[in-house]
Amino acid sequence: MINTILIFPIIASVLMFIFRNKHFATFLVNLYAILHILVSTLLVFGVSNGAKTHYFAVDSTNLIFLAILSFVYLMVAIYNTSYVKTFDVKDKRIVKYSFMMLIFVLSMTGTILSTNLGLSWVLIEATTLASAYLIYFNKTKHAIEAAWKYVFICSIGIALAYVGIIFLSISTGAINTLNFAELYKYAGQFDPMWLKLAFIFMLFGFGAKMGLAPVHFWLPDAHSEAPSPISALLSATLLNSAFFVIVKVYKVMTIATVADYARIMLLVMGFLSLFVTAVFVYHIKNYKRMLAYSSIENMGILAIGLALGGGAYYAVILHLIGHSLAKASFFLTSGNVLELFGTKRIKSINGLMKADNKTGWLWVASFLGICAFPTSVLFISEFLIIKEMLVKGNYMLCILFVLLLTIVLYGIGQVAIKMAYGKLSEEKAKLVLENKQKITALMYIPQAIMLIIVFILGVYIPPFLNNIITTAISGF
Amino acid sequence: MVNGFIILFGLTMLYLASTSRIIAHIRILIVQGILLFLICCAGAEHMNIFNFLFLLLETFIVKAVLIPIFLYKVLKKTHSNRDEAPNIPHFYCLVISSLILLAGFLVSNYYFSSEKMISPLYFGVSVATIIISLWLITIKHKIISNVIEFITMENGIFLLSLSIAKEMPMLVNIGVLLDVFIAVYILGLFVNAINKEFKDLEVSHLSDLKDYEYND
Repeated sequence: MINTILIFPIIASVLMFIFRNKHFATFLVNLYAILHILVSTLLVFGVSNGAKTHYFAVDSTNLIFLAILSFVYLMVAIYNTSYVKTFDVKDKRIVKYSFMMLIFVLSMTGTILSTNLGLSWVLIEATTLASAYLIYFNKTKHAIEAAWKYVFICSIGIALAYVGIIFLSISTGAINTLNFAELYKYAGQFDPMWLKLAFIFMLFGFGAKMGLAPVHFWLPDAHSEAPSPISALLSATLLNSAFFVIVKVYKVMTIATVADYARIMLLVMGFLSLFVTAVFVYHIKNYKRMLAYSSIENMGILAIGLALGGGAYYAVILHLIGHSLAKASFFLTSGNVLELFGTKRIKSINGLMKADNKTGWLWVASFLGICAFPTSVLFISEFLIIKEMLVKGNYMLCILFVLLLTIVLYGIGQVAIKMAYGKLSEEKAKLVLENKQKITALMYIPQAIMLIIVFILGVYIPPFLNNIITTAISGF
Repeated sequence: MVNGFIILFGLTMLYLASTSRIIAHIRILIVQGILLFLICCAGAEHMNIFNFLFLLLETFIVKAVLIPIFLYKVLKKTHSNRDEAPNIPHFYCLVISSLILLAGFLVSNYYFSSEKMISPLYFGVSVATIIISLWLITIKHKIISNVIEFITMENGIFLLSLSIAKEMPMLVNIGVLLDVFIAVYILGLFVNAINKEFKDLEVSHLSDLKDYEYND
């Protein structure tokens, strides 16, 4: 079953290069999205057990990550179908763009399904290489800068993660394996000193990919310069894949009874991410950068949730779902805003509601979703994390957490509201009217679907989803 | 004899730290590739034949031939011969690199001489190589120098993986090699693109994207 979603993109890529037709290439991207969601749905409802291979398997933990990836990818693919029509480039570049998108999603799927730490490493690096072209797609000066920083910082980060893997092999002693199941089995016998050292390197390496401060520098540049569907994929799926590897390595630490040490590292990086966002989000001039900083904040929350453990694990998964959907919707809507106004400058955008009512509402709803306004599912997840802090008696952490979140909320809120309301100048209105024709219904529907799910999940979590989440956290 | 190769490998890093001509840096990459090849050959009796052949391919073909040829082409296209005036003068670079290398030797001999899993000399030199490369990345001004130091760092990591008496699964090895090779290839393409856009390869051109200013 899972072989289908791992092999299809390879065949599709070959076909793309044989036919070199942009419509066919976009069709294959969509076909892969449908296949992906189909396989995930069958796995989620237990119709198929996924058939293991030597290096890839579906288990209770990665199923939810796979489902999120499939769903977000489907939504992005729908949006992308219309979005590529706005590109004013040669067919060849659109074929390349579609090809890289397939490889990008393939490597993320591989990372999530991989049962071997070494292979996860290889595939995480593959995501960097595939998405580099996508970030560089616009070929402007700034796109080069962003793509260069992205490849360079992430490659160095990932290389250091490999040093971590080598240290892990030293700590395993006579056992020669990188298979997660075997690592869990023998983790009790590992040398704690080398294991701790390995964790630092891996946390920094995979953390760089996940966008945790202080190794987040590539993230605002890359997210703001990439085309909007790619920003949505980067934020809503790539960061999750890197987080998934950290979750798996963290489990080794827990079994080896050195989790306290790992917990402190995660808490420090998590709070640092919140702090960095709180500091930078205030005077930001570019709304796509602002969304990127919000991703750093949310990754920080995930790291904190993971470190807290216990009831917070449930919150982590809820937060993962909520953030992926709300942020993908926010980024896709920002694509509409960019199409309408032709600028990423916050100052130049006013009266989004008047300019295009639907985009305006999506923008405000995405903001409410991401800032955890009830009934957004993020409200429940953040509430559960705060509850866990109080239950464990971490009052100072709780105060700091709430304070930083409030600062970030205010920072993002003032920009989002300023852009949505206010007066639209005549000159801008004319420009918007002209650009509005480029935006089709398919550039509204995916966001609307994702936001509806985000707000429904805050009041009602269907039993099947609850079931998946509870089985997933048993693997944490 | 292996120890001699490893020490030579460490010395190449000192040479890298003290020269400014980029063609010399590329030659150093060739020397490092050949040294790694010789180190692999010397440890051949412990490996199975496929792993051994693969390592030979990786070190000799990719590290000593393909990557240097590719970088040489990039260099010719971009006409950047020297990395002039790094943030720290070359003499101090040499001194600091020597100190890092010395610290690598001392720390690994002092702490890890009793460890069965690792050999202290491999470990010391490889960790020193990684640290020197990372440090050189921060002080050099040319983008192509950064790529070269990225590769020396990868070489250091490769040496580190040889220092443990274990083999990674073949699939992982192939994946690592492929990733590194493609990363260098993509970085090389970007070097060309940057050269076209900015007319030279100074790192300082790549600092336009800021949080508090809008210049898109």
